[in-house]
Amino acid sequence: MLCLNLIFMRKEVMTMGKGIQLMGILVLILGFIVSPGFTAEPLKIATLTDMSGPYAELAGWGNINAAKMAIEDFGGKVLGMNIEYVYRDHQCKADLANQKAIELYEKEKADVIFDCPNSASGLAVTNQALKYKKIFIAITSGTTRYTGDLCNRYTFHWAYNDYVLATSAGIWAADNLGKRWYTITADYAWGHDLLKHFSAALQKRGGTLLGNEMVPLGASDFSPFIIKAMNAKPEVLALLNAGKDTVNSTKQAVEFGLRKTTKIVHALLFPEDIKAAGPEVFADNYVTASWDWTVDQPGVKEFVAKWMKKFGRPPNWFNAGNYSCVTQYLLAVKRAGSKDPQAVIKALEGYRFNDFFANPGYIRPEDHKRVGKAFILRAKKPSEIKEPWDYFQIVGVVPADQAYQDVKETGCKMGGF
Amino acid sequence: MHIPVQMDAGKGKRGMNIQFVIMQLFNGLILGSIYVILSLGLTIIFGMLGIINFAHGAFYMFGAFVAYTIVAYLIPNFWVALIAGPIFMAVFGAACEAFILRRLYNLPPLYVMLFTFGLMLVLQDFIRMVYGAAGVPFRAPSSLDGAINLGFMFYPKYRIFLIVITSLCSLGVWLFLSKTKLGAIIRAGTDNSVMVDALGINISRIFTFVFGLGIGLAGLAGVLAAPLQNVSHLMGVDFLVDCFVVVVVGGMGSISGSIVGGLIVGEIIAFGVMVWPPMAHTLIYIFMAAFLLIRPRGLFGREAFHE
Amino acid sequence: MNKGAWSKQKIILISATLLLAILFPHVAPYVALASEILIFALFAMAFDLMLGYAGMLSFGHAAFFGMGAYTAGVILKDLYPSVPLALLGSVIASSLAGFIIGFLSIRRRGIYFTMVTLAFAQMFYFIAFKWTSLTGGDDGLQRVPRPSLGPLDLKSQIVFYYFLLFSVILCAIVLFRIVNSPFGKTLQAQRENRNRAMSIGYDVDKFKLRAFILSAFFSGLAGGFYALLLNFVPLNSLHWTNSGEVVVMTITGGMGTLFGPALGAVCIILLRDIISNFTESWTFIMGFLFMAAVLGFRGGIIGILRSKLRLSI
Repeated sequence: MLCLNLIFMRKEVMTMGKGIQLMGILVLILGFIVSPGFTAEPLKIATLTDMSGPYAELAGWGNINAAKMAIEDFGGKVLGMNIEYVYRDHQCKADLANQKAIELYEKEKADVIFDCPNSASGLAVTNQALKYKKIFIAITSGTTRYTGDLCNRYTFHWAYNDYVLATSAGIWAADNLGKRWYTITADYAWGHDLLKHFSAALQKRGGTLLGNEMVPLGASDFSPFIIKAMNAKPEVLALLNAGKDTVNSTKQAVEFGLRKTTKIVHALLFPEDIKAAGPEVFADNYVTASWDWTVDQPGVKEFVAKWMKKFGRPPNWFNAGNYSCVTQYLLAVKRAGSKDPQAVIKALEGYRFNDFFANPGYIRPEDHKRVGKAFILRAKKPSEIKEPWDYFQIVGVVPADQAYQDVKETGCKMGGF
Repeated sequence: MHIPVQMDAGKGKRGMNIQFVIMQLFNGLILGSIYVILSLGLTIIFGMLGIINFAHGAFYMFGAFVAYTIVAYLIPNFWVALIAGPIFMAVFGAACEAFILRRLYNLPPLYVMLFTFGLMLVLQDFIRMVYGAAGVPFRAPSSLDGAINLGFMFYPKYRIFLIVITSLCSLGVWLFLSKTKLGAIIRAGTDNSVMVDALGINISRIFTFVFGLGIGLAGLAGVLAAPLQNVSHLMGVDFLVDCFVVVVVGGMGSISGSIVGGLIVGEIIAFGVMVWPPMAHTLIYIFMAAFLLIRPRGLFGREAFHE
Repeated sequence: MNKGAWSKQKIILISATLLLAILFPHVAPYVALASEILIFALFAMAFDLMLGYAGMLSFGHAAFFGMGAYTAGVILKDLYPSVPLALLGSVIASSLAGFIIGFLSIRRRGIYFTMVTLAFAQMFYFIAFKWTSLTGGDDGLQRVPRPSLGPLDLKSQIVFYYFLLFSVILCAIVLFRIVNSPFGKTLQAQRENRNRAMSIGYDVDKFKLRAFILSAFFSGLAGGFYALLLNFVPLNSLHWTNSGEVVVMTITGGMGTLFGPALGAVCIILLRDIISNFTESWTFIMGFLFMAAVLGFRGGIIGILRSKLRLSI
């Protein structure tokens, strides 16, 4: 009964009788005096990631730990609110992701969801973010649709996207590796998207695409496509696929001796892939990344050292991205002076910053993409690897204005709240 | 979506020269060979025990991981793994049969099938828990690295080795079943296990042996395929459905059916990939559906199984 | 199974279940999960019609579920945002698919039948995967709206749950009537002994086809509800492993009882949600439970309830 009074008092002091009014105000004052933080709601942060599916090693616990570390380093509190943290596993299934997002927003009352690997899953979450009017920041998935046709005011995209992967690698490789290209593409929306951007980047630098092979997703035998590619005698072979397909296609390309005459550029390649297949498979291949633990930027050495001490291995760029993102979110809450999603969104839009991950970093208000420079990495030969996880060497940098798509071309019609 | 493609002058029709076609023929053989070994196991198990083994793909995957474990932690020698891996799987399979599957024989075959479905989930997730979800590295032995000059083209040595081994293996299995006494017993048991039992032969031991043999073959396929692809806990899932296609096309319970069916399916995929890559895989499902509707016993299957 | 008489036990059981169902969204981990459970309960019951009553194991039911989901989604998103229209579309599409696939598959029995259904389901999956302009391909069909149904604001999760509960109960009643009708009895007869049923004069294949279409009808309806629940249609609703999941639910619940598979759906989905918050190895546990169910408790949960509690359901 008393709490009912409290609630009514908070909202409509005039609606009850005078006696109850007085009592209510007295109780309120008492409450504020006795326990200052008693009625302050905590800020609830959630990570939705893949803990048991194909991205478990890449994202999974690494990203959860990154978020936890970011909260810890921030002090565990912001604006007098305690920060609570939850995480959920969507097993890389889009329907589970949808349900877990509902659970997080509705039941757990999370104020923000981070991460979500797998683009189909992430896109479903953006819809729930709009429905519940809470923030979602995608980190590990790369579809340009987050900031394209499916953009909305509550969704942000942090670490990278397919455009930057394709364009940066395309520009750099065309300038440095060769102008005659062949591509092997995973035959679905993501692959097609990558191909479009790669060939555009290639053309801009005066290169030619000799041919393309569309390969069904998950194919285990790439030999016919590799043979066709070899027949065309390209200088560069671009493998526009990820995960298992990357490993299979590269293994088989090496098997057929393609690497003797052609350089290989990947759309996506992670240290975990190299570890899973063995570094000799990927030696001297190239890929774009938003960050690497060997990058020479302020703050990187300290972060890596702290991470290594705690987890025994260096962070990958999704872990780093999650840490940076959670920290920037908390800073935005501080700037906004409240955890209200709309205020925080306004504090994020147009913000320029430098941290160990993004230097420079800028969150575009037009499409909510965090942009920054992109690094070109070369996978080391086994003989060059001096310590565990020392798989990459940074060979090039592509500035933000070339790496990311022009805001006018993203197709994003950012709505209101 | 229009992709700007510039043809290299003087190449003719992009890659479709005779050299490429022959390469594809060989690649179809490779794929087909793996299917053959896998389906041999599946069809032997079905023929003798009447079991559709949903876990066959998982056993294939398990075999690859056993090989990896041997090479990475015990004896870094591919050939040892090639022998020990399948033997381990055969014993493992025999143990599964003897201790668990046996109890389900007096039930409708539905239950055994469902049990193997559960087993598939358990095996896959077990591997994920132990080795992680990303996969593990596995390479062909250095003696088989590189390619052989076949005169008109270069072809990887390992793949040629694969074709040779699977041919020898298929021949071996066929000879075993048709020329040896044990093979005769197995064939008789496939036809009429009750009669064989009545003749005083310990049919349950034969069952165990056959199941073990089938799983051993699956394991062998896994070890052979490991250098060619990503060795991960899910590598058997797609192969399983393809195997079903092979066994249906070839004829359930027929050895020659598995061999012919496996090669046909491998070549269909290879040629499908040449002609219309996106539909290459769907093609075999259409092929299987057609067979099931027109000639359900497959190419070499027996009328009795048309049920 | 059906004793005809409304025993006291039965009335108590049914009332208890209804009460639980009404209170369920408040005890379940979250309301949307309760709705998901209802949807899969319906899917499992539809599946049981085929497996438990007609004796046909189909590994391709995901195709009907998926067809229902995609049809509803496309209608809601691209045609006209109306819930009844979308659901009507779902059942028409899935029944049609059921007719075509059923007509072709019924000719074969046993394992061959299972294989054909699996093959067709895979084909549907690949078609949906490639037809990106219609289905969204790998991304799935995003942004499916959930419009109001008359005075009911379905956007509220709890209102949607009760709408689902009402619909699923209606479907359950219909399904119960079907399996207890002469049609249902004939189905069970031909399952037990096909030749005898034929010798009595029944056109067994016709019955099987009708059962197939009915099963596809309700599976498609469940799919339509799913599209509404998620506000999107994931591609893997068409994958054969989804068919596998409903098989697991039906067997663990107790096939051939309709109520059992519904219970199986409740248990499997609840367990999955609860257990996956503690461990990543839910698949391992589910596989184990399933193997145990096949080895030991073939009557499923219903079987356990019947024997241990001596219930006559």
